[in-house]
Amino acid sequence: MSYQIIAIAGLLYILAMPLYIVYMLTKNNKLGYLATGILASGALIHVYGFIRRFMEMYAINHSFMRSIPITNLYESLVFFVLCLIVGYLFIEWKYKKKSFGVFVSIIAGIIIGLTELLGVSKEVQPLVPALKSNWLLAHVTLSFIAYAAFAISFITGLLHIIMSSESKKSFKYILSTTLLGLMVFIFISMIIDIITAGNPKSVKIFHSTLGNPSVPISIISWISMIALILISWKWSEIIIKIFKGLKIDSNFLEDITYKGIAFGFPIFTIGGLVFGAIWADQAWGRYWGWDPKETWSLITWFVYAFYLHAKFIRGWQGSKTSVIAVIGFIVTIFTYLGVNLFLSGLHSYGSM
Amino acid sequence: MSKLEKWNEKIWNFFASVDLAVALFIVISIGAAIGTVIPQQAEPEATIRFFSKFLSIANATKAYEIVSLLDLNNLYHSWWFTFLLFMFALNLIVCSIDRLPNLLKSYKALPQPLPFQILEKMPIRKDLKIDKENMPDKIMEIFKNRGFATNLFQTPEGMQIQAKKWSKTRLAVYLTHLSILIILSGALVGTFFGFRGHMNIVEGTGLDFAISDEGKAIPLNFQVICDRFEVEYYENSAIPKAYRSYLRILENGQAVKFNGKETKVVEVNEPFSYKGITFYQASYGFQPAEHAEFRFTYFDSGGKEIPIKAKFEEKVKIPGKSVTVSVIDFSPALGIDEHGRLFNMTTDMINPAVLVVFEEGEKRTERWILKKIPDTWETPYGKLRFDELWGAQFTGLQVRKDPGVPLIYIGSIFLCVGLFISLFLRPINYFVTINKDNISFYSPSLKGKFIIEKQLEEIINRLKGEKI
Ligand code: HEM
Repeated sequence: MSYQIIAIAGLLYILAMPLYIVYMLTKNNKLGYLATGILASGALIHVYGFIRRFMEMYAINHSFMRSIPITNLYESLVFFVLCLIVGYLFIEWKYKKKSFGVFVSIIAGIIIGLTELLGVSKEVQPLVPALKSNWLLAHVTLSFIAYAAFAISFITGLLHIIMSSESKKSFKYILSTTLLGLMVFIFISMIIDIITAGNPKSVKIFHSTLGNPSVPISIISWISMIALILISWKWSEIIIKIFKGLKIDSNFLEDITYKGIAFGFPIFTIGGLVFGAIWADQAWGRYWGWDPKETWSLITWFVYAFYLHAKFIRGWQGSKTSVIAVIGFIVTIFTYLGVNLFLSGLHSYGSM
Repeated sequence: MSKLEKWNEKIWNFFASVDLAVALFIVISIGAAIGTVIPQQAEPEATIRFFSKFLSIANATKAYEIVSLLDLNNLYHSWWFTFLLFMFALNLIVCSIDRLPNLLKSYKALPQPLPFQILEKMPIRKDLKIDKENMPDKIMEIFKNRGFATNLFQTPEGMQIQAKKWSKTRLAVYLTHLSILIILSGALVGTFFGFRGHMNIVEGTGLDFAISDEGKAIPLNFQVICDRFEVEYYENSAIPKAYRSYLRILENGQAVKFNGKETKVVEVNEPFSYKGITFYQASYGFQPAEHAEFRFTYFDSGGKEIPIKAKFEEKVKIPGKSVTVSVIDFSPALGIDEHGRLFNMTTDMINPAVLVVFEEGEKRTERWILKKIPDTWETPYGKLRFDELWGAQFTGLQVRKDPGVPLIYIGSIFLCVGLFISLFLRPINYFVTINKDNISFYSPSLKGKFIIEKQLEEIINRLKGEKI
């Protein structure tokens, strides 16, 4: 089955993370190539899984355009991860810097983990009539390419803030180190969740840690989460040192942050907003209806428009703008997952 | 300057400032976000119920008062949200009028050498020493090969070369901004000159009006007839695969022809327009009407297919036999419960079935015939296939007239084109000073600094390479 193949790809992404760490600590180039190789082979297997899933859907739908596997929450999350990895590998190749592979594989790992733990359906499902539209196809594909670009600018934005903060008490520094610590905690917690799960269908997110029925384990988990955040806050200069050792400066990170947004913003505009509006126009007879999903896409758009204007016209300097890139991606995640989890609306598309 | 002029200038500068734009981005975002949390266009009770989830009843009622005072339950059409959008548009207009003429002027102006002090302040700078003849020509040629336009000046500090590429792409930002204004005006046109409504047409009937979202009837000046409505399901499942209505338009009693055909098929994602009014397949439902009839196909002994139509409980003679058949029960989705009893699963016609009774003199034979199960078509009186119950479903059409849509589409195209140009084809400027064997490269751009430095390196390498 295709989802098992994709799960193997996910495993490789997760495996790349410790390798990147060892590479960064030892600066051993061979290890660096190995890390990249594992990430890239994960991507190849992922592409193979994607094709397999396409064929499984084709067997049901008998239509080429209707069989591209980005029609439900699971497929779209998985597609997002693929875009993220391919985008990162491209940057690594173009700039010859293996700088933030650790964080990319953490995010990829968390999202693959989410598909295991949110109880999302992985079965190939027949399409309901509203989803049979080429506009929708273009809308979803481009949106996720843009989200992946935003994810990359989120990572480099975080690192940029950490590298260029002078004071540990500044809001920017606290925000980004907290996020970093949280990401690492969620990553580890999810791995434990999945490993300890007897029956994969019944696992819940944080079941083995924060939400553990045993009170001591739950308390220990909370303490370790806070500890991780504190460690991240206290010793993030280690990251700075390592990065400097790898000849990565904050200018590079700032530049990639901008590039991610400059690439993602027009793609998101055309795919997320314009194609989405055209599809809504044809399916529901209105191009804009202030549905929560639409509204949050608009907010996401505004945050990144804010970034572009603050950076270039207001002349905001340094890591101030990277804070917007970080917030922008948090809003993006909310647009994608939060709206489905917490708010109701017409976009049954993303529902589980 | 008089006091009035001063005020004028202050107000103008306020609306021309990017600070206002940046502030509006935040305020509009927060406002819009509130609207996704508080129930919109809901009854007062629903709003109070929403707040009572985390407030006491007394406070929830108070919260409702605040909500209705600020129109938070109809936020996107409230006076203050409209006002914010209006400010946004005004900001864009004033800002463009304020800046565009200067930009255009700068394209017309004759190129001038830049004073040394300005070059010194530029964020990107690279120095090198090359002792060779004809340096200016060589440098200019490298730039020209890369698509730059170049100018050469003689200054007190030596030669100055200016190389520019894509400088006109800065105009694209204004196209982007204009497109947003076009989209907003399209939305305005739609609000004032369009309408939205819906109509539920029972199969076999027609309507000449729609019901607006506010519940008012909107006359259409023509009649929409639904001859047939059908839902297709995926095999062995209750998931609809497609639903479609076969519509006809009657104008003054005359059927209108489209490409020679009278019938128009409307499906989800495939709307149909007539006279600026568009019909979308939105929903459907079960609603047996007076004229509903059961349609069968009877296969006579020779294998000929004969259609049979019957209303509920109406006795119809089977051709070539002295038997009548009549329908005495109907189920849209026949299922069998755990006690073996038959029941209706839903009112969707997933698995329609009829209970028919054959009467031959005194003899009565009852039989369930299921549309999807051919075994049940075989009866003691020959093969009788149940085809459909016609006239028992209505098609739910969304109806819309929106003359603003073309503007929305034009605006969207401009928006995409403008954004792609302004973000992917940035203007690039280089300045080179040559003073004997000292060559310095400068670039004022902060956007994509990394790329520019890399490009500069390439250019310098070419230059050095030529020396060998
Ligand atoms: C959501 C709506 C808006 C979008 C999508 C948008 C988009 C853009 C983009 C992509 C740029 C180019 C930025 C760059 O150089 O990288 C830009 C520049 C600019 N924007 Fe906007 N903008 C919006 C609203 C506004 C508003 C309301 C103002 C009002 C003052 C404004 C003022 C400007 C100015 C002054 C520039 C610089 C123009 C120049 O370089 O000559 N924008 N805008």
